Amino acid sequence: MAIEHAYKKLKEISLEEFILPGTSTCGGCGGLEALRLAHKVLGKNVVFVNAAGCFTLLALFPFSPFKGSWLYTTMASAPAGAQGIRDALDLLIARGALSIEEDLQVIVLAGDGASYDIGLASTSGAIYRNLDFWYFCYDNEAYGNTGVQMSSATPYAARTTTTPAAVLTPEGTELPKKDLFEIWRAHCPPYLATVSPRHPLDLARKFEKAKAFKGPKLFIAYSPCPTGWHYDPGQTPEIARLAVETGLWALKEAVHGEVAHTYIPKKLKSVEEYLQAQGRFAHLFHPVRQEAALRKIREAITQYWAPYLRTMQNAK
Amino acid sequence: MIRVRFHGRGGHGMKTASRILGTAAFLEGFRVQDSPLYGAERRGAPITAFTRINDHPILERGIITIPDLVLVADETLLEDPLANPFLGLHAGSLLFINSPTSTQAMAEAVAARHPTPARILTGDLTALTLEKIGKAQALSATVGAAACKLAGVIGMGALEKATRKELEELGLPSPLIDRNLEAALLAFEQTPRVPLASAPPQPAPLQGLVVPVYQPPARGTPSVAAPGNIILRKTGGWRIFRPVIEYDKCNQCWICFVRCPEGAISLDEKEDPHIDYDHCKGCLICVEECPTKAVVKEREVHAW
Repeated sequence: MAIEHAYKKLKEISLEEFILPGTSTCGGCGGLEALRLAHKVLGKNVVFVNAAGCFTLLALFPFSPFKGSWLYTTMASAPAGAQGIRDALDLLIARGALSIEEDLQVIVLAGDGASYDIGLASTSGAIYRNLDFWYFCYDNEAYGNTGVQMSSATPYAARTTTTPAAVLTPEGTELPKKDLFEIWRAHCPPYLATVSPRHPLDLARKFEKAKAFKGPKLFIAYSPCPTGWHYDPGQTPEIARLAVETGLWALKEAVHGEVAHTYIPKKLKSVEEYLQAQGRFAHLFHPVRQEAALRKIREAITQYWAPYLRTMQNAK
Repeated sequence: MIRVRFHGRGGHGMKTASRILGTAAFLEGFRVQDSPLYGAERRGAPITAFTRINDHPILERGIITIPDLVLVADETLLEDPLANPFLGLHAGSLLFINSPTSTQAMAEAVAARHPTPARILTGDLTALTLEKIGKAQALSATVGAAACKLAGVIGMGALEKATRKELEELGLPSPLIDRNLEAALLAFEQTPRVPLASAPPQPAPLQGLVVPVYQPPARGTPSVAAPGNIILRKTGGWRIFRPVIEYDKCNQCWICFVRCPEGAISLDEKEDPHIDYDHCKGCLICVEECPTKAVVKEREVHAW
């Protein structure tokens, strides 16, 4: 498939809306911002398979914001639902009941709870079987729909309702965020990428590029959550920008397992600027600064970027 | 028994307001019960909370269908069938609406659209909250205080203790709790005392079991056959501030259009942006992101 758009400038983004307004998602939802932009690239021939999560609120019976079809599954089984739809479409095409032009792209929508925890096994199975589907994980780093409980995507030292800053755990969440990108990459899918709604052209280029691949096309979308992260909804793009500029959220892709960063900040911003902008990290600064926790966060970033920054410098 | 129902939107703090009322009544020596009700909805969507106050043990459970006092945190909920704040109002009950509109004008507006036997009272708690707390949504303390005053059996001392206790449990920093307390006491003072009449008899509890009838999957499974029909849901009522575009400053850069999560901003053939106020939730990303500051925010004033 030829690449139709280079997405070099904002004005190449489609004016057509594929997700209509009126949904029950919170105002300022970063996940919806990312999905809206992705859908503009994917176009109208799609069918969504939605694992239980915040995006369940997109199609709230008897309403749907989608122009096409949407299937709701349990948290664990969205990729299995995608397999069923893909098979049904293939059968219809084989029988001549559906033309190739009418074929649909099957897209799993799942939050970090379904992606990192509950549905990881069925995703692993689908990638293993080389199922031709798309996976859109909106990662808001907690079980947002049920009231912000910790998931394995919750970053170290974030406060959630199940990991409060308490006497025995002053930093809140004690464990680091699971590296889902690397877990998925170990399966060697044809295309895998991280995206952010604050980088719409990077996002659009990745979805456009992925169209050329048959098989699993997997995306993890950084999804700032004003409700769960405790910041004003208007700050969503700024939080997303800081996440990328501080080096916390790496924008990258992996084609058949080969990793490339699509954006490397020239100089990493101080991570404290990102942390201080959100209530979920407020306990790291008040009533006392938790130096050990802050150091641990800084060190994890430095450790992540060291090899890439070194390669960059050598290239110069 | 005094039965109180709170209507608000997710993020307004109505669950906390009902807890403040419950705790304050408990501190005054009453038996109390409170519970919130919300479905698969998020910030901005209608929620309800209930408080029962009695001098004997409370054996009643569940939602309150015949209330003595109803407090509505956001006047746009009056038109929302999901909220239905008029449910079960009777001649003895009082409907308090948080609104800058005067009591008389509100009573006339309500009479024209939703005739109700209940007495109506308004108070602009949002203005007080904005002034003292700085955040229009943070209505739990002020609505809680108005409820305490209208319940008629709670003093300022109990209100103060209850507000502090509930907000401390939420983990609010102490300067913010102090500002909430100040606002709460002012709201208590500015809310008039209106005697509550006793409620008519409550519905008798259901006797026996209701057996659900089997439906074949084609009828029993929810399915939507009208794609895109979500535009029938107007989420514009969620706004506290409205973004307004000043076209003389707009340079048609597309940023507001690209950043709007809802798709509530569209561009015309001249690439000028237009906001769909029926659906804009008022997240104000466009206000924050506009590079030429051409999108400004204004306090939302609704038709009521």
